[in-house]
Amino acid sequence: MTDPDDRSTSRRRFLALAGSAAATTALAGCSGGGNGGDNGSGGGNASGGADTAGGQPTSGGTEGSDSTAGNESGGGNESGGGSGTGEFSVTITQGQPPSTLDPQNHRETPTDNVVLHAYEGVLARDAEGKIIQKLATNYERVEEGRVRFTIQEGVTFHNGDDLTPEDVAFSINRIVQEDVGFASPQADQLAGVTGAEVVDGERAVDVMSDGFNPIVFASFATYCDIMQQSWVEERSGEEIAQNMNGTGPFQLDTYEQGVRVVLSRYEDYWREPADISQLTFNAAEESSTRVNQLLEGETDVAVNVPPQDAQRVRSSNSAGLSAVPSTRIIYNAMRYDVEPFSSPQFRQAMNYAVNLQGIIENVLSGFADPTGQPTLEGFVGYNGNVEPYPQDQERAESLVEESGFAGAEITLHTPVGRYLKDVEIAQAVVSQIDSLSNVSCGISQREFTSLAGELTDGDITTGPNFYLIGWGNATFDASQTIIPLLTSDGALTSYSNDELDSLISEAQSTSDQERRASLLKEANALCREQAPWIFLNRQYSVYGVSNRVEWSARRDERINAYAMSSTS
Amino acid sequence: MTTGRFLLKRTLQGVFVIWGVVTVVFLLRFVTPGNPITFVAPLDASQALRDQIAAELGLNRPIYVQYVDYLLNLLQGDMGYSYISGTAASTRIFNRLPATLELAIAATIVAVILSIPLGVISATHRHQPADYGATGFSLVGISTPNFWLGIMLVLVLSVQFGLFPTSRRLVGFLPAVEMLFTEGSFDGLVTWLAHITLPAITLGTYFTALITRLTRSGMLDELGKTYIRALRAKGLPETLVRYKHALRNTLIPVITVVGLQLGTLIGGAVITEAVFAWPGLGTLVINAINARDWPMIQGSLIVIGAGFVIVNLLVDALYASLNPQVANE
Repeated sequence: MTDPDDRSTSRRRFLALAGSAAATTALAGCSGGGNGGDNGSGGGNASGGADTAGGQPTSGGTEGSDSTAGNESGGGNESGGGSGTGEFSVTITQGQPPSTLDPQNHRETPTDNVVLHAYEGVLARDAEGKIIQKLATNYERVEEGRVRFTIQEGVTFHNGDDLTPEDVAFSINRIVQEDVGFASPQADQLAGVTGAEVVDGERAVDVMSDGFNPIVFASFATYCDIMQQSWVEERSGEEIAQNMNGTGPFQLDTYEQGVRVVLSRYEDYWREPADISQLTFNAAEESSTRVNQLLEGETDVAVNVPPQDAQRVRSSNSAGLSAVPSTRIIYNAMRYDVEPFSSPQFRQAMNYAVNLQGIIENVLSGFADPTGQPTLEGFVGYNGNVEPYPQDQERAESLVEESGFAGAEITLHTPVGRYLKDVEIAQAVVSQIDSLSNVSCGISQREFTSLAGELTDGDITTGPNFYLIGWGNATFDASQTIIPLLTSDGALTSYSNDELDSLISEAQSTSDQERRASLLKEANALCREQAPWIFLNRQYSVYGVSNRVEWSARRDERINAYAMSSTS
Repeated sequence: MTTGRFLLKRTLQGVFVIWGVVTVVFLLRFVTPGNPITFVAPLDASQALRDQIAAELGLNRPIYVQYVDYLLNLLQGDMGYSYISGTAASTRIFNRLPATLELAIAATIVAVILSIPLGVISATHRHQPADYGATGFSLVGISTPNFWLGIMLVLVLSVQFGLFPTSRRLVGFLPAVEMLFTEGSFDGLVTWLAHITLPAITLGTYFTALITRLTRSGMLDELGKTYIRALRAKGLPETLVRYKHALRNTLIPVITVVGLQLGTLIGGAVITEAVFAWPGLGTLVINAINARDWPMIQGSLIVIGAGFVIVNLLVDALYASLNPQVANE
């Protein structure tokens, strides 16, 4: 047998795929990670797709700007917890089981949703997406490229040991430094962070970045679970993947890989113990299976209820729906370096050709919002003055004439079953473009993994000219969508524009948050006008929730059982 | 050739086939588009890191070295480590095996219990209502898609009437039996049975229809043969003629098909597993393929292939004992 410690490689997830947030994001979609299109998650996912893969969530909602000093006022904890004495069991069914229990060795929503109950970060987000403190009692910028987290006292790991600043620094380094532990697939989630060290004589940790790193607090609010240094160092990668020892409100009871995870309330939790005494995670990739489990009382929360099953849940007397706009955007990328997509007029024409509102109503049963820019409402940099493109076939045809590419024949590549109704959305787009008198459009259904492989190899020329994909962005910040997808050097880019590049690089180097936001807004307006994508829908996360449980869906695709309580 | 020699020859052939399966499965990685490193390395990995990963995974060595290495590890039961979870592929695959075998065997039992009597009745009541009923059932069974049948069974029997759980497998067969012996409680077995009933019916229906038709035509063939007429002329009761002589000879080809089908069920239950969230090998393979998790894909396919070969060997052995002539062919 090979030495299980020699796992630096095996531990990387395929999500490399998704790469900078990307993939992850990308993954979300259907629950089924990759299987039947009815799922949306992840695969991964569950909400992310299934996919297996799930996508990365982003929290939505409020501004996520980080304060440059100290505590956000009122940045309390998320509500939750309770008496912590009663017996209350809750079961959650996702599209995919977690692929590992190592919180730093995955990039999927379904895995995240399990490990977030046992592990916590220094910061977190409340249900609206606002940054709150978790294991840090204070966070501040010390100097350019250096921020400081003060660490909460009285926190214990599930094995009874106290949390120390050394554990925090080690956890951050395990992600960002390849020589600490292993090469974590989450390194780009803490983009710009180079390392962490304990502050001498204080219960605090300094985090270093190259440059100002405007999104450092936003990143830590979404990512980076804290683990115990000695616990990690004493164990092989394989053991870490199958056990948990965090500071969170639930501790691991039993783990049947690929089948179920059972957690129980951690009575010595540093805040109020949870209302839930036992928490079980199951997986069922078929959405109808999840819905049937919910209606039969076999589960309490079913992720990614597709539009066609929504009515069954609504009309049942044992469960209801909880729907919320997610942080995932669905779009059609058009490669700027090939004809006819090299023409801005042609790209605008494609946007005018599509009846987005009709797709949302007829294909998605209203469970979606239209978009007209790469950034979603509620994110830093979202431009409220930019409207989605209206459908205007005549204008589309005249723009095609103007572009000089009348008679163009194009093919849209779409994954199958990765995102909610992906093929159906693609078919609608294709038929609407094809109905223009001077463009003909076909469709090519692709296996997601091979399509993602072409997009994530860092070479723009290996990808298709025109493709549908989804992107989740957990940081609440425009830059984490635009940089990887639309700047010249982006990991999955389909576009290059000097003006956009300079707006973004200026935004990323300024320390004035207001100026940064206005530069990003300008970038979004430019994207709308230049139309590097056909802007499609913002996906919703739709959950079926048993009437036994009091819980509302979050925008970031995370399911936080600590916030759940019994209705009885 | 004696039966013993015949089986030895078959066993050697089986080993050869498994080696062939291993080789083909190993080579799959090299003919499938997409470099595994793309899926294993972080997206923004430098070339140096990619090379390092390739070296750690041993992917930068000549193919023949990797192949010999893979074979040697396999002989020690090491199928490598999952790219995705980092756990030993063999552990994960063998953890899934009981669920898959239970489902395949349960579906086979459902099929055999239903189909042989149906086929016999159909043959002995040719062109009567019972025959039309049985052949009609076969036609419907063969034409019904698995996923639809599964979903319908759940909607009607679980959701509407609450007779069965909708999905999942809360307890395995062996733990359930263990519970019976240690605690004297039938609860485990009852739970197991409740959960496996619908998936077994779903998976077994097509198979039932197939064997019903096979039994019917085999039985009709046999009943038309001269030895049957001789038996009847001797005054043997009709029940003995039918069920001792004709049926016995009919069952020989049926057993072959059942055996071959069992192999198919081990690898082919993907859709049923998905509908019932049944934690078997089928779902494992699909997820591994979606993630390009090569060690898991290779290991699962080898286990499924070996399962096929072993089942075929057992069928041969049974066949040889039922009909000693086969060994001489």
